[in-house]
Amino acid sequence: MYRPLTLMISASLIACGGGDARLSGDGSEAGIPTVYTVNYPLQYFAERIGGDLVQVELPAPTDVDPAFWTPDAEALAGLQAADLILLNGATYAKWLAVVSVPESRTVNTSAGFEDRYIHLEETVTHSHGLGGEHSHEGTAFTTWLDPTLAVEHARAIADAFATRWPEHQNAFVAEFESLAADLLALDRQIAEIVARNPDKVLLGSHPVYQYLAARYDLDFHAVQWEPNEAPSAEQWQAFVALRADHPAQWMLWEDEPLAETAARLRELGVEPIVFDQCGNVPRVGDYLSVMRQNVENLRRVYR
Amino acid sequence: MSNALYLAWRYLAYHKVKTAILITSITLIVFLPVGLRVLVRQSEEQLTVRAEATPLLVGAKGSPLELVLNSLYFQGDVPETMRYAQAIRVDTSRLALVIPLYVRFEAQGHPIVGTTLEYFDFRGIRIASGGGLTMLGDCVLGARVAEALGMGPGDRVITSPESVFDLAGVYPLRMHVRGVLEFSDSPDDRAIFVDLKTAWVIEGLVHGHVDLSSPEARAQVLQRDSTNVVGNASVVQYQEITAENLDEFHFHGDQEEYPITAVIAVPPDQRARTILRGRYSSPDDLVQIVEPTSVIDELLDTVLTVQTFVIAAVVVVGISTLATAILVFMLSLRLRRREIETMRKIGGSRSSIGWVMVSEIVVVIVVGVVLAGGLTVLTSRFGSAVIRAVIF
Repeated sequence: MYRPLTLMISASLIACGGGDARLSGDGSEAGIPTVYTVNYPLQYFAERIGGDLVQVELPAPTDVDPAFWTPDAEALAGLQAADLILLNGATYAKWLAVVSVPESRTVNTSAGFEDRYIHLEETVTHSHGLGGEHSHEGTAFTTWLDPTLAVEHARAIADAFATRWPEHQNAFVAEFESLAADLLALDRQIAEIVARNPDKVLLGSHPVYQYLAARYDLDFHAVQWEPNEAPSAEQWQAFVALRADHPAQWMLWEDEPLAETAARLRELGVEPIVFDQCGNVPRVGDYLSVMRQNVENLRRVYR
Repeated sequence: MSNALYLAWRYLAYHKVKTAILITSITLIVFLPVGLRVLVRQSEEQLTVRAEATPLLVGAKGSPLELVLNSLYFQGDVPETMRYAQAIRVDTSRLALVIPLYVRFEAQGHPIVGTTLEYFDFRGIRIASGGGLTMLGDCVLGARVAEALGMGPGDRVITSPESVFDLAGVYPLRMHVRGVLEFSDSPDDRAIFVDLKTAWVIEGLVHGHVDLSSPEARAQVLQRDSTNVVGNASVVQYQEITAENLDEFHFHGDQEEYPITAVIAVPPDQRARTILRGRYSSPDDLVQIVEPTSVIDELLDTVLTVQTFVIAAVVVVGISTLATAILVFMLSLRLRRREIETMRKIGGSRSSIGWVMVSEIVVVIVVGVVLAGGLTVLTSRFGSAVIRAVIF
């Protein structure tokens, strides 16, 4: 899983002349190359790996979920001028399908593990006209919540950096190794925590924890609630029915739920707990500190 | 001498029609082969410049000439399409910058070129007014297209059906003109550029319609069960992409299976170029890689062969025209016997009279050659514009 040697070899090959024809955009000509990302995890990984050698930008505002944001003309102009655009893949940022971005400067950082994508089951097909039956099926996209996949994202970023700026490959490799060590430490901690009670049933407020659940084989079931909205009567009814089949005592939330929602959950014997997916820039700390807090919160669940 | 020239000049000026016919004949005899050569040379340059600026083309196996004409000049028949996966194949080889092309559709008589933003950097084309491609459904117009259609940023251009009999075909798409390109004196001036994804929208592979699973679409549903919704004939696909319906546009199937007509591959060096060419050498491969310069050189070889025949024919016609001119002079001498006799009686020597006759011939030939030279200069100066108008 952890292959710095592969990165070293590929970077060396690239440095020997196998690189892209278009290695830099407007940014690098002016000085520091500009790298755009589609979410905060990729921004954090890119900043860790690139350090001061690259300028990393996340164009989405801090108060929206970047997965469902669509760039305006100004943001799009920035994207089109970037030296490199790091994509999450797995159908994250669906706006990519409807905008024009320079393909040669985009890198799908999850292309290396497409076979590990989790395809959503609830798919309705439709047909009309001569087009035949088809579906708009989706893929779970919070891939980074599996720390081992987060390492693969980081590896793809380091590879992309080394391809474009081979003169700094040693620095990129060193920073990647440091980041990968941090991410794999998270992985080990979560695995140890879950191993204490692997049969524990968990609920989720939103279907965003698929990769976390898959990685640690969690007995996990999600509803589709928002932290800042009170669930409707129908949603509570569906929740009670779900809980009848899956008697969970803990429910993961992306953010603190409303006080009344939390109180009602506690009345039903369910303790809400925050596991922040960290898709956008956190209010406090950084990606690693948020994930470490998530691990601590999980520790409460499995103690 | 000057007297002889004066008399010759007066004679030619008096017999205007005869002189004009003789000068025209001499002019054409000289100009036709020379002018033809100039035109052919300029055509060669026009074709070669574009081909030399395009290192490699990848396309479905078939006529390389068709592939080159379609991809470089946006003319001729549409070549066999290939899967977009072929563009990914070149890209993953890391041996070249990849610029996919899908040149198949037209809007109001102008070719629509589906490509990526890299095309504009590669060709060095800049925006003259408005902006570049940003969203699905946008287009930018070549300078001559904008001029011909009288359109600019903010206008709408509608795609044309591939066939007037294509009644069951895809809906025409109303595209937003985002900008107009600077005049580049190339085939790009006569094309409409769209994002590759927009070209797929035109084909109907990417389309937008009301969400059939939503309650609002009840009237458009023929049949519904837990896993499938069948729309009825009233499901209308959007014909214009707007901010309101943008999210309803979706891809059908695997994007790698979508069609393109060619890939421009730009290797960074000769080594990468050679390696890339080698990867398409298998006879079992469904695609070919061609060097546009080689294809155009072959075309020009054919043109040169035809040119040789044409020049030979022109020379034969020239010789017969020259013979006719000589005959005209000889007959003219006979007709002018009394005039010559008069010149002798008023004291003109035999040599003086001879000089007058020779001067007439020399003046006709010199004027004819000078006119032919002038036409050749005009051809070399304005011929390229005429050729571009004809070729592009």
